[in-house]
Amino acid sequence: MMLARPLHAVAAGIMAIVLGLAWNASAQMQGDTRKPDRKRGALITAQGTAAGAPACAQCHAFNGASDGSGAFPRIAGQSLYYLSKQMRDFTSDVRVNAVMSPIAKALTPDDIADVAAYYAGVNAPFLPLRNSDPALIKRGKELAKVGSASNGIQACDNCHGPSGAGEPPAIPYLAGQYATYIVFELRMWQRGFRKSSPESMAGVARQLNDQEIAAVSAYYEQVQGSAELTTSD
Amino acid sequence: MAQRLKPVDVVTIGVGLTGSLAALELAKTGLKVVGLERGAPRFTVPDFQSPAIHDELRFSIRKAMMQDNVKVPVTFRNNSDETALPIRRWESFLPGQGLGGSFVHWNGQSFRFQVADFNYKTHIEQRYGKTFLNACGPELTVQDWDVTYDELEPHFDRFEYLCGVSGKAGNIKGQLQLGGNPFEAPRAREYPNPPMKETYFGALFRKGVEQLGYHPYPQPSANMSRPYRNPEGLDLQQCVFCGFCERYACEHFAKASPQTVILPALLKRPNYELRTNCEVLRINLDSTRKKATGVTYVDGSGAEYEQPAELVLITAFPLNNVRTLLLSGIGEPYDPKTGTGVVGRNYTYQTTGGATVFMDESINVNPFMSSGAPGTMIDDFGGDNFDHSQLGFIGGQYIGSIMTNGRPIEFHPTPPGTPKWGLEWKRAVTRHYNHTIAVQQHGTSTASRLNYLDLDPTYKDAWGQPVLRMTFDFPENDIRMSQYIADKVVEIGRAMGGKIVARGGTKRPYTTTQYQSTHNAGGAIMGSDPKTSVVNRYQQCWDVPNVFSLGASAFPQNGAYNYSVTIGALTYWALDAIKNKYLKAPGPLVQA
Repeated sequence: MMLARPLHAVAAGIMAIVLGLAWNASAQMQGDTRKPDRKRGALITAQGTAAGAPACAQCHAFNGASDGSGAFPRIAGQSLYYLSKQMRDFTSDVRVNAVMSPIAKALTPDDIADVAAYYAGVNAPFLPLRNSDPALIKRGKELAKVGSASNGIQACDNCHGPSGAGEPPAIPYLAGQYATYIVFELRMWQRGFRKSSPESMAGVARQLNDQEIAAVSAYYEQVQGSAELTTSD
Repeated sequence: MAQRLKPVDVVTIGVGLTGSLAALELAKTGLKVVGLERGAPRFTVPDFQSPAIHDELRFSIRKAMMQDNVKVPVTFRNNSDETALPIRRWESFLPGQGLGGSFVHWNGQSFRFQVADFNYKTHIEQRYGKTFLNACGPELTVQDWDVTYDELEPHFDRFEYLCGVSGKAGNIKGQLQLGGNPFEAPRAREYPNPPMKETYFGALFRKGVEQLGYHPYPQPSANMSRPYRNPEGLDLQQCVFCGFCERYACEHFAKASPQTVILPALLKRPNYELRTNCEVLRINLDSTRKKATGVTYVDGSGAEYEQPAELVLITAFPLNNVRTLLLSGIGEPYDPKTGTGVVGRNYTYQTTGGATVFMDESINVNPFMSSGAPGTMIDDFGGDNFDHSQLGFIGGQYIGSIMTNGRPIEFHPTPPGTPKWGLEWKRAVTRHYNHTIAVQQHGTSTASRLNYLDLDPTYKDAWGQPVLRMTFDFPENDIRMSQYIADKVVEIGRAMGGKIVARGGTKRPYTTTQYQSTHNAGGAIMGSDPKTSVVNRYQQCWDVPNVFSLGASAFPQNGAYNYSVTIGALTYWALDAIKNKYLKAPGPLVQA
């Protein structure tokens, strides 16, 4: 057992400090001394770049809610660290996608930082939901909050935060993410096409069957807004 | 009246590390095995899931995973002249309770004891002469284990592969390996998994100790550095550095515990039966008092049962192994006045502590991103790795930067002289929280005739049985050792760039009110002579050959390292003898 240092006192405000520092640390890890320019990011989002990258807003919408089809993920308010890491993964083929890979490769590191900073800072309403099977959502909620003893997998919320709210900067939110997108990405991990965080997500994805993937995705899609995020059950 | 149950082949008293490991080995031979666990059943899913599992108040402060000391406390005193009082709040050591035992809330710090630990008395006499021990302290009662490191090596290997230990070998079959610990005992092969990623505080420690010419290496860890399938076919996942390891259970299947590496394989065997919430009161002996007939226990409803068994394994926390022997009248209790008797003798502990290194504000340590065994360490002052001939003490400590957490209630480093509360204290915490590195000292405490365990004459448990009494203080030898190494740690702290280095080191008297170590050992020690040991080299009771007392209670004295892996190896070693010798011809495996 490890010894905590002699323990004096209260917790007041420490968590806020902790989160703030984690954010700073991640910025340092990128070796990025230039401060991302959100305004320039907004411009790229709306207009694309001279080098040929199309406007992000065409698919992801100017507010990051994307088009609601589920073909494109919701990225509004996802962390700067996470978004820029995914873009770098597309440029290095750690993630491969016929649409995103060429776009990411057309962007400079500064472009990526600026666009990521822009989308990290926007909020967007949730688009109206299609009807999902309540039994499927209930099963998904169990997996998300408790895990599965028979599959040997832990609750998704352990890492993705309460009700999938995210654990920024490293871990993305799932709350309100499109089910179609979550299903697709889990399958990419299962089959080895998505190689980002393989040590954690690939293993988990392989333990899930198609029905469980559908269930957990359906659950997270309908977690929208603060009311659900603050329930503790 | 106790209800008499159908006889079984084997009963284990406790289902933690040793209880589950022994049960799996014996269930594989086809024997009918019953595991009696005084605590509740609990599993990774659903019991260990977040956010509930990260409740610092519940688990770290209120010790929710520890032995229920309202029902069964331990009493404590520093010496035989004092009156012992019950420990009602666990602080200095934390015996676990519940399925999986203390091997659920451990950190995963996964060392092997060293070659010299197992023949310590012989080793010291050979290296420093016959009079050296007595000069270090006439009260010291160091002795050999009667098992050698070489005999245990295959069992160490097997246990490490069971647990998926992540590390870097320093010595494979006598060949030193770059990047590993050059002082480690020779191993047959590399660790099953590569070492954990080095933390920032670890990297700063490495830089500092390299300047001083020491030999840094990554701490071996039973938190996984990558996904791993163990030889029982059970899957572990990669550790996510959540910072809630010791005092907690792992929600990620990333820490070796009975729940992750043993129980799923054990519980599916039809010839194994787990009974939880069952408190064993005693082992029953026949009229010759040389043969156990089984155990008597009370279940959660208060009903009393007699469970007959051919073989009884005491597999509780070390302190409770000793108490079970005392309550059952197995072996002669130790008498410190005459030095006779064996049960309770050579209770040993460990010395811990260390320096707190306060860094510049530009150094962001981020201690909250950590695992249970994230250390970068040196063993230059471990065990007998350095020359003691002019030092006047035996023993040593490893030194390591091992920060397992930055949890909000527990972690508030402030420099010496800071007020304990108020505005100045808050300012100091804000200034230092993320810019402070703990450098641990962790090592031996030497067995002494003054330190022992017996039954308390006054205090009884919830079932009316005497509780265990602990009489302990650090021998002066240990204080000299710890203070000598504390000076070295201060030098390391300065070499790391510390602006302020608060010196550590162990002092007397030992107190139970501050966390030190849960490596309580001894009291039912192994050896070659029934006059100075309770169990033989296979951990079989000299007096009652169908009772084995497994685990760290058998250590004649403690090593410098965290002891779980050595417990695992010793358990496999004993089980090997039970399977291949005892079951074929039940009876004493060693003639006294």
